[in-house]
Amino acid sequence: MATTAVSLADRFRAVLDIERVIEHPSELRLYSRDGSIAEGECGLVVLPDTTAEVVACMKIAAELGVNVVPRGSGTGLCGGAVPLAGAVVLSVARMREIIEVDAVTPCAWVEPGVLNLDLTTAVKHLGMHYAPDPSSQSACSIGGNVATNAGGPHCLSAGVTAQHVMAVEMVLADGEVLMLGGTAPDVPGYDLRGFAVGGEGTLGVVTKVCVRLTRDAPMVKTMLADFNSVAEAGGAVRDIVAEGCIPAAMEMMDRLMVRAVEEFVHADLPVDSAAVLLVEVDGTEADVAEQAAMVERVCRTHAANAVRIAVDDAERALMWKARKSAFGAVARVAPNYYLHDCVVPRTRLVEVLESVARIAQEHDLVIMNVFHAGDGNLHPLIAFDRRDAAQVARVHAAGEAIIRTCVAVGGVLSGEHGIGLEKRDYMPLTFSATSLAAQACAREAFDPTGRLNPEKVLPLGSRCGEVVLDKDSLPPGTWL
Amino acid sequence: MALTAPASREELAALLADMAARREGVRVLGGGTSSRRGWPQDVPEQIVSTSGLDRIVAHEPADLTVTVEAGVPVERLRAQLAAAGQCWAQADDRPGATIGGLLATAASGRRRIRFGPIRDSLLEVVLVTGDGRLVSGGGKTVKGVSGFDIPRLAVGSLGTLGVIAEVTLKLWPAPHAAWFGAEGLTAELTEIAERIRGRLHVPGAIVLSNGRLDVELIGPDTDLVAPEGLAPSHAPPRPAWDATVEVGVPALRLAEFATGLAAAGMPFEALVGVGSVQVGVGSVDDIDTVRRQATARGGHAVVIDGDAELRTDAWGPPPPGLEVMRRLRQSFDPAGILNPGIFLTDTPPAGARA
Repeated sequence: MATTAVSLADRFRAVLDIERVIEHPSELRLYSRDGSIAEGECGLVVLPDTTAEVVACMKIAAELGVNVVPRGSGTGLCGGAVPLAGAVVLSVARMREIIEVDAVTPCAWVEPGVLNLDLTTAVKHLGMHYAPDPSSQSACSIGGNVATNAGGPHCLSAGVTAQHVMAVEMVLADGEVLMLGGTAPDVPGYDLRGFAVGGEGTLGVVTKVCVRLTRDAPMVKTMLADFNSVAEAGGAVRDIVAEGCIPAAMEMMDRLMVRAVEEFVHADLPVDSAAVLLVEVDGTEADVAEQAAMVERVCRTHAANAVRIAVDDAERALMWKARKSAFGAVARVAPNYYLHDCVVPRTRLVEVLESVARIAQEHDLVIMNVFHAGDGNLHPLIAFDRRDAAQVARVHAAGEAIIRTCVAVGGVLSGEHGIGLEKRDYMPLTFSATSLAAQACAREAFDPTGRLNPEKVLPLGSRCGEVVLDKDSLPPGTWL
Repeated sequence: MALTAPASREELAALLADMAARREGVRVLGGGTSSRRGWPQDVPEQIVSTSGLDRIVAHEPADLTVTVEAGVPVERLRAQLAAAGQCWAQADDRPGATIGGLLATAASGRRRIRFGPIRDSLLEVVLVTGDGRLVSGGGKTVKGVSGFDIPRLAVGSLGTLGVIAEVTLKLWPAPHAAWFGAEGLTAELTEIAERIRGRLHVPGAIVLSNGRLDVELIGPDTDLVAPEGLAPSHAPPRPAWDATVEVGVPALRLAEFATGLAAAGMPFEALVGVGSVQVGVGSVDDIDTVRRQATARGGHAVVIDGDAELRTDAWGPPPPGLEVMRRLRQSFDPAGILNPGIFLTDTPPAGARA
């Protein structure tokens, strides 16, 4: 293994500077993990600067038949960037130039290593922003966002990453460079650009992205309502949407999470309430006034204790800081956390939250909730200590119970984090073997060799074999 | 010719499996409103209609989702949604079309600048592949990244990866809206259009045609006031041409492209801020002109409706990724029986300049 690694590194050093090929064991360990609790084995790290260097790296990997795992900032939460069995990690972290901003369309061409928040900061003076805003936006990269089809609180009305990506330059496993999509809409043929977003690094290495920019709304109003029961807060979420309003964002935190966050951020949050709802509406002055009045009325109908409206940008920023610091605040409760990302129909939110609370009790665990209530996108967060093996076993059991509960009410495994390694083996809960095989076919159309980020997304054994159909072997209903 | 209308997806799957085994081509038919499309081919003996798949399976107003079978006529769905104060905002209003047909032809609506293209509305799809497999992709919730995005592949595939049998769609609350319009020189109207786009916070639609500009505003009553130079009007009529080319150009280049069409006297409808243009054409020369003008601006042009002689080069130059697309077609329709010969992954007919 050691000799292979040395010669492997030498091969890549023929196309990259010496310091951009990493093989020191302590550094490799850093690249063997991401933001999830999974850990793999990294054989080598390469850090190309340009598309041409990515092509050169991919050709070497193809020639040697080694597996490649593309990596952005490594903030992913489901093990998508975790290399297995000594795969080569190709990090795009050094490719971080904002190539061009077109303020009229408006859109921006960026390299994949550009950080999400850095892009918004760079176009702020133009009165615009990049809409998808994951909680990790100060650390996560646009390339990683494309790989996971990332979301964020403001994706409720704005839509997730796929709706903001106009074009993707992608290097395939054999080194071919494809420009998918473009600033002209509806490129003829199958929507490869749309399909490539959310490919979790299995289809190709993203080397350039054209993202749509969004003009800042003329007016924004941010409100914080607190409730004495999760059921009332959930009812408010349901009724706000049922009244015909899609807020810019609608987030919920439960009591445990509010307390952890308050200790961390000091935003004067109502720590005795069962649930806090953060609602933001935007648009024209008249539109905002109408939406805000409705949101307040619905919250009061659901017995909100108070509806606090941010009076200025500072207070608004503080409310959002409270929301986006949630994952960091958990460190005060326990050293590790295991985060889920199920989506359930909005109408089933309350019953699922009640089930999650029951699961926490049954497994003797602390589960905190902070999530995109407007989308029904839950983020139950199981706080734990990885040094306690018995507790870790309970964490996994509880995680599975949560997933099964969500799927049982018509939910899906992931809203915005992806499947990666951690949710992979749950895929058969929502897809038939035939459907998984079709997904494998689609993946193989991009990478017939299967060397790009192998063993991710689809359960082991999902193959794109040509299925010779015997209709008697397919009783009605088995596909789901 | 034999027309079959399976009453369930299982029946459809069995039928296609049987046809695939015999390597017999089928024409997939929805509402039949977009059948003069793609490279010209003799219509196969067998026609499979989705008209038997006509149930609205579940409409959950509070979830803003609806699950429908592909053969449901769009008018029927719209009526049901309107009764609940909701709409399928991303789709075209093509009269007589089915839900499956609008998705398979990627027919986005005029409100695209605000609500996005029809591809963004498809949450879950059940496809029957060319060899009779029942494949589901996506999920019924309003948000989801569970696995590879099969729904994205289905939209705009013209039925060549599989017959869309059932879908779950993302809905929007029906907006409060009003139209405003003006007539004049196209060059001047493009300037007004760009100004409106720069000033207004996301209008519902900005539709430019020869000598006419129509703008839809969305919002509370107080926001529905005529922009400078425009007067209250109605939604412009749908274009009705003998043959239509669909063009995509970068939104940034739309004004000059539209002005060029107007100067050449060609009828068109353009979505300002999107870059999507439909052009009425009468000859192969017209198509060449439109395509040349689009390509020069980084765009493309596809003949989406017209007699066979206008479609010998329906697709124009193939986009990047043609090999990937061919592999997709091969694995979803191994015998190549679905709408054979019409899609750009298929072998071009003699006369195509691709």
